[in-house]
Amino acid sequence: MAELTINGKRKELDADTLADVVELLGLGGRPVVAEVNGEVVASEKWAETQVASGMKIELVHFVGGG
Amino acid sequence: MDVRKISDQAQSRAELGDAAGAARDTWRIGDEEMTSRFFLGTGLFPNPFVQNEAIAASGAEVLTFAIRRVDLESAEDDSILQHLEPGKFRFLPNTSGSRTAEEAVRIARLARASGLSDWIKVEISANERTLLPDPIETLRATEILVKEGFTVLPYISDDPVICRKLEEAGAAAIMPGGAPIGTGLGILNPYNIGLIAEEANVPVIVDAGLGTASDAALAMELGAAAILMNTPVAKAQDPVGMALAMKLAIEGGRLAYLSGRMGKKKYASASSGFDALKVE
Repeated sequence: MAELTINGKRKELDADTLADVVELLGLGGRPVVAEVNGEVVASEKWAETQVASGMKIELVHFVGGG
Repeated sequence: MDVRKISDQAQSRAELGDAAGAARDTWRIGDEEMTSRFFLGTGLFPNPFVQNEAIAASGAEVLTFAIRRVDLESAEDDSILQHLEPGKFRFLPNTSGSRTAEEAVRIARLARASGLSDWIKVEISANERTLLPDPIETLRATEILVKEGFTVLPYISDDPVICRKLEEAGAAAIMPGGAPIGTGLGILNPYNIGLIAEEANVPVIVDAGLGTASDAALAMELGAAAILMNTPVAKAQDPVGMALAMKLAIEGGRLAYLSGRMGKKKYASASSGFDALKVE
């Protein structure tokens, strides 16, 4: 179990990689951008990006705006 | 109102203009050649259907977006992109919500990581009540993002000096506001907008504060290359009708700018002369 802070909220997930996190949150296949500890991680690298307790992850997307 | 019919009529007028050599009036940002001079925002529309109809009526080739956290509590896919035809539009994400250059740069990097666009509208608000842009932070963010290879379009106040500095920093276009965001007050300082357009060597896009079609026409008459707006269309009683009204006003204002308006005179001068009418 990894204890992560995702979009400002604490979550415990059974995840080894960033790809697992995105999948477990039900965001697989959606146009989401990820940042881990303040650094953008391109989607091609999600599967090789290990996650561990204490990491801060931000998941963002495009919304309506001017 | 049959918006499509009016749009078709406007289209045939544009073709007439083409024949007269007045049209084929394209413009560029970076390598992107565009025909439409209308950038449309995607916020505040009543629903995705009306939004898509309004986008179609506007003829916009560039759409703006914001970047926000995904709502992890809501399972539904609320991504704005799912409603748009893929590949049809150039995307211009903004850095709204940022208060410093560092925050804007972070949002810009996230936006580019989407793989959808390397264009970025720098929008850094100094004050929540007015949302007026912070010129110092905007200039700093522009300098950083230009170095990182972004195509940077800063939203900025209507000050000719800061606009010049942004251009010198490598901005691909300058986007002065007509009035504070979402106010619909129109162009509060036409002199400044006109001066900015006259002096700039990059496209000037009037962004924010417009309310209705005459505001858009005035911006174009003052020499703006294009208009960016969201609220006036999204919050109109009929957003689709207003999108078309704005498109036509932008085209009308542009054509008036190209055609050169008559000089202003203090006193009347009759169109037909007076002498021939004198009866003894």
